[in-house]
Amino acid sequence: MKAILAACVLLAGCSVLQPSPPVPQKPALSAAAAERSLSIGQSTKADVLAALGKGVVVDFESGYEVWVYREKPPASGSELRAELVLLFGPSGILAKTRVR
Amino acid sequence: MRVAVRLGALALLFSCTALAQDDPIVITAVRNPVAKSYRKMVEGMELFERRRHLAPAATLRFRLLPRKHATEMEGVELQVAAPSRAIPLEVAADRTFALKRDDAALREDAKVMPNRRAGTMTWRAEVRTPGLPPDVRQLGDLRLECEVGMKSGLISRYPPGFFGWLDELFPENPAFCHRAAPRYLFFADRPLFSVTLVDGARREVLSVDMLYGGASRDPDWKKDKHCDCEVLFDRAYFVPLGDASWPDDTLVVLEYM
Repeated sequence: MKAILAACVLLAGCSVLQPSPPVPQKPALSAAAAERSLSIGQSTKADVLAALGKGVVVDFESGYEVWVYREKPPASGSELRAELVLLFGPSGILAKTRVR
Repeated sequence: MRVAVRLGALALLFSCTALAQDDPIVITAVRNPVAKSYRKMVEGMELFERRRHLAPAATLRFRLLPRKHATEMEGVELQVAAPSRAIPLEVAADRTFALKRDDAALREDAKVMPNRRAGTMTWRAEVRTPGLPPDVRQLGDLRLECEVGMKSGLISRYPPGFFGWLDELFPENPAFCHRAAPRYLFFADRPLFSVTLVDGARREVLSVDMLYGGASRDPDWKKDKHCDCEVLFDRAYFVPLGDASWPDDTLVVLEYM
């Protein structure tokens, strides 16, 4: 009984620790079109959030952040996905972009 | 089952004790210093000579890198330490050093030992073809760095399953580097924004998944404190070492933040 209880607690703990699912991105824009909608040196994180939704965020102790947006695969089963990568400086202003 | 587990644990304990007793006694100024096997590093140098067609003009050095924020990298002293001798090594300003073969040190199973504690630094092979701009590497150099690094036992190891993707590094075998996209971490001199492969007119920007230790695929990467890239995450990248469609003289162009 104790073992079952412990397992239940562990499972519950794991589910709590799971990262929250990413917020759905706005699907209409291609990676290139999304990049064109932004301004290096001007766009803020809030601007990007409003325009593109939330991407995958990789943040660094230096204060820089990389935000990643991926298009849906062009065909089912394909691993090729266009990606838009944004770099924010410590000030929170868009510093660099690239599309792959 | 429980008995078997306990017996296994006991056997492991005894084997560890035996290993510790067999280790040569070396007097150093630091308790529990970070150390690498001199024999393995010499084997790595020999592999470099055998495989130098990957980078015919390149030279081999080894590099010390910080693993903790508090690691003081200034004034690192390094020596080949054997029971009967200590051979000092010169560490350059860029924290690289060269190693020479010493038969007596090999016989005594010497260690390459800096005056820093274990877990505070990490090591890599450094293969550089001369004449390239500072933000450009050559794929053949990186292929050799991986092979020499694996052969030399430079990569820190952890129990299987302890740190997901690092488990792939367990086999200390240069063949690991021949996989299409082995997760062997390279470190740029500065924080990275992108990495591009260039072979003549062919260019390919690597996916962001090849940067930052794959952090864009693993939101929990910050919880993994046991990677030897802890303070170098923003400089870390993988390259498709085993993809034969990219020749050895492919340029690896680094764009910094």
